Amino acid sequence: MNSSRPAVDASESGARSSSNVLVAPRRRSVGDLLGPKRIGAVYVWVVIAVVLVLLKPDTILTTSTLTQILNNSAITGLAALALLIPLAARTFDLSIGFVMSLAGVTAAHFAATGMNIVPAVLLALGAALAVGLINATVVVVMRVDSFIGTLATGSIVAAFITMVTKEQDITDVKLTGAFSKIGQTDLGGVTLPVIYALIVALVLWAFLERTTTGRRIYSVGFNPEAAKLAGIRADRLRFASLVCSAGIAGVAGIALASTIGAGSPTSGQSYLLPAFAAAFLGATQLRPGRFNAMGTVIAVLVLTTGTTGLALVLAPAWAADLFTGVVLIAALTITGAERRGLRGAKGSLAALRARFRPTTTNPE
Amino acid sequence: MTTTTAATRPAALRTEGLSKTFPGTRALSDLTIEIGAGEVHALAGSNGSGKSTFIKLLAGYHQPDPGYSAWFGGQPLDLDAPGADRPPGLRFIHQDLGLVLELDAVDNFGLKCGYATRRGSIDWREQARRTQRALSRFGIGIDIHQPLSQAAPVERTVLAIAAAIEGWDEAGGLLVLDEPTAALPHAEVEVLFQIIGEVVAAGASILYVSHRLDEIFTIADTVSVLRAGRLVETRPVEGLTGDGIAALMAGADVDTDVRPQPFVRRPDSVPAIEAVDLRGRYLRGVDLTVHPGEIVGVAGLLGSGREELPYVLAGARADSATGRIRAGGEPWRTIERGGFQHALVPADRLAEGIIGELPVQDNVALPALRTLGRHGLMVGDAESRMAVDVIERVGLVPADPSRLMSTLSGGNQQKVVVGRWLTEERPVLILSEPTAGVDIAARMALFRLLIEAAEEGLGMVVASSDVHDLIHLCTRVIVLREGVVTRELEQDEVTESTLLRVMEGLES
Repeated sequence: MNSSRPAVDASESGARSSSNVLVAPRRRSVGDLLGPKRIGAVYVWVVIAVVLVLLKPDTILTTSTLTQILNNSAITGLAALALLIPLAARTFDLSIGFVMSLAGVTAAHFAATGMNIVPAVLLALGAALAVGLINATVVVVMRVDSFIGTLATGSIVAAFITMVTKEQDITDVKLTGAFSKIGQTDLGGVTLPVIYALIVALVLWAFLERTTTGRRIYSVGFNPEAAKLAGIRADRLRFASLVCSAGIAGVAGIALASTIGAGSPTSGQSYLLPAFAAAFLGATQLRPGRFNAMGTVIAVLVLTTGTTGLALVLAPAWAADLFTGVVLIAALTITGAERRGLRGAKGSLAALRARFRPTTTNPE
Repeated sequence: MTTTTAATRPAALRTEGLSKTFPGTRALSDLTIEIGAGEVHALAGSNGSGKSTFIKLLAGYHQPDPGYSAWFGGQPLDLDAPGADRPPGLRFIHQDLGLVLELDAVDNFGLKCGYATRRGSIDWREQARRTQRALSRFGIGIDIHQPLSQAAPVERTVLAIAAAIEGWDEAGGLLVLDEPTAALPHAEVEVLFQIIGEVVAAGASILYVSHRLDEIFTIADTVSVLRAGRLVETRPVEGLTGDGIAALMAGADVDTDVRPQPFVRRPDSVPAIEAVDLRGRYLRGVDLTVHPGEIVGVAGLLGSGREELPYVLAGARADSATGRIRAGGEPWRTIERGGFQHALVPADRLAEGIIGELPVQDNVALPALRTLGRHGLMVGDAESRMAVDVIERVGLVPADPSRLMSTLSGGNQQKVVVGRWLTEERPVLILSEPTAGVDIAARMALFRLLIEAAEEGLGMVVASSDVHDLIHLCTRVIVLREGVVTRELEQDEVTESTLLRVMEGLES
């Protein structure tokens, strides 16, 4: 290249800026950061807490209740965090529940044979990552829609687990030893999985907020076409995102198996819906419109407080699921309406109309 | 205004004082137009002249500004009402035809006109008969049971027309055709014209929108020319020439202030980009060489390969195009192998250019993330400094790097999309439709910015359907027709009428 064009260097732009008024980047005020638009779920949380305290003042306000809520949140939190990177890249991973079961069963199986827990855990993680690679191949290389592709691989994983375990929980006295320490070690009432979840949350937050790769992932999620044309390798990122989610789901599955002290072939599946609920609710918090780690942490805590609290006030068993569903729809409706408001309610109405009357759409 | 050709019948359509304002631009100003009963009325105008806005107002896709009046066949017409409430005599064929290509003719016909039912279920035999009957009057033998994706383009157009005019009273009707020939090969245009002739013979009126001037002379009685949202003139086609219409479309008020200096190639310069034998969905073997500092325009009608060329050059069509490319004296690369990417300003800004949910700063940094990160970490204020530089250079108002991209006007968005490619030294910048949806002031600013970048040694390719882009920006223009370069125009030959005539094939 022998072009004579000088790059835009600092001195040149410095000279320019003196001639032009520049608006300083807007600083976020404390009100912005703590307002209901950013952390609405925290307000919901306070309301729930107050109601619960009024209903059961003696049982709710105890350290054991608070640590119980934290401990109940840990596995759901890990499962929700597993979804974050794919979701940020607009990719679904519906296989995480099955991957959790697979990792738990694998770890328990090898631990029960008397294997040292380090290789047992590594083998379980390896199994989870292998599923991640399969997911990525199906979705990115074979171009199957991620929603249905990971549902399909999840089904295959479920079949494999059933084939190997014959639907029997893997239990063994050896699982009460070192293996149980992974999930049951108690640090002043708080169990280790809470720490795992917090570490993963911090790492994901830093990764998505502070790295160039994190930025690329959000770009791909918001507008894959524009990201590609700006030189971002979207396929590569989506591939890696599905491997990541399987890896974190593997951690969640091992922690779960250790917590319940058994390798249960179906234990992971029930975490899929709460995990999605938390990830989507989390995307309405702190960084509205973006799947983000700390928002997800808030969401998990709100949802678990609600469900745990409902159990403590002796609400019927179905109340917890009802609560999760209602909170999720409410949060998504409110933020959805806000975002549409940004583009003008008229625009979305026109778009809706256009969808139902294809003959009148004519983008030139 | 012209008088209606059939004085005894009221005009098919008449609007008075029809305007449409979008945020930042006035797409249509005070349009008073009359489509006489039984006439073929052509609507001409370059991009951004307000043609499609007018059609969309008629169809109910947009709502007009208050203060207009409209009549259809002498009856007041409410353009604020949703499109479904238009009078039954007013029918539309939009450019994309509104067909479902995966389904066959019978289903597409049924979706438009309703299905024949017997005892609550679809009577397929009757439905097929109806479809056949609707098509037969046009004398076209089409397999009504094969998916439309396998039908010829003209067969689809005919089906769309047949479905659109099914069961209407042609005597008072108005059929609006929006660039119906855009996707048609030349030979099939004849067939379409015969069909239009039949519809008119039955007593209907036609509003015909086209970029192709020769078509206007073939079928239209009257032509209305729009420019910058205003009606320039309505007059009978008889007595007009192609150059006459082109001059009306261009107008005398073109700002000729902005034009690049004539390009002089430096003897030692290595081409900014060279491409050999580009082929794709439309391209049929195009060679192109652009030198540093040169701004090469690409002109051509829809389907000529003009829309495809920028993407192929940028390396974004590895799956559907072939050819060889090299930039800035690097080794040759084949397009089909892919893996390279040149700076591209895409045609569809919203879908391909910006990331609306992210702030200006992030949009600027997108192609430069590799150099901005330190070991992959975004540290310090390198990113915001880059954003401030770009904002300065392109003159973004307000100069706020933290604003969400989606809240900017079209012109400002385009400045960001262009500006982000100017942060590093690159051999070439490729632009497709650089001024689509950009208001006139921002357009001139963009032109100056691009010319300045070229003067600093950037090679540029500008593909545009707007001849003003080519006139104001380019030091040379290649004209594509049916996938090959039909003509190359030097800077002093690039005028609106020449460009239009060459694109139309009136002059080669």
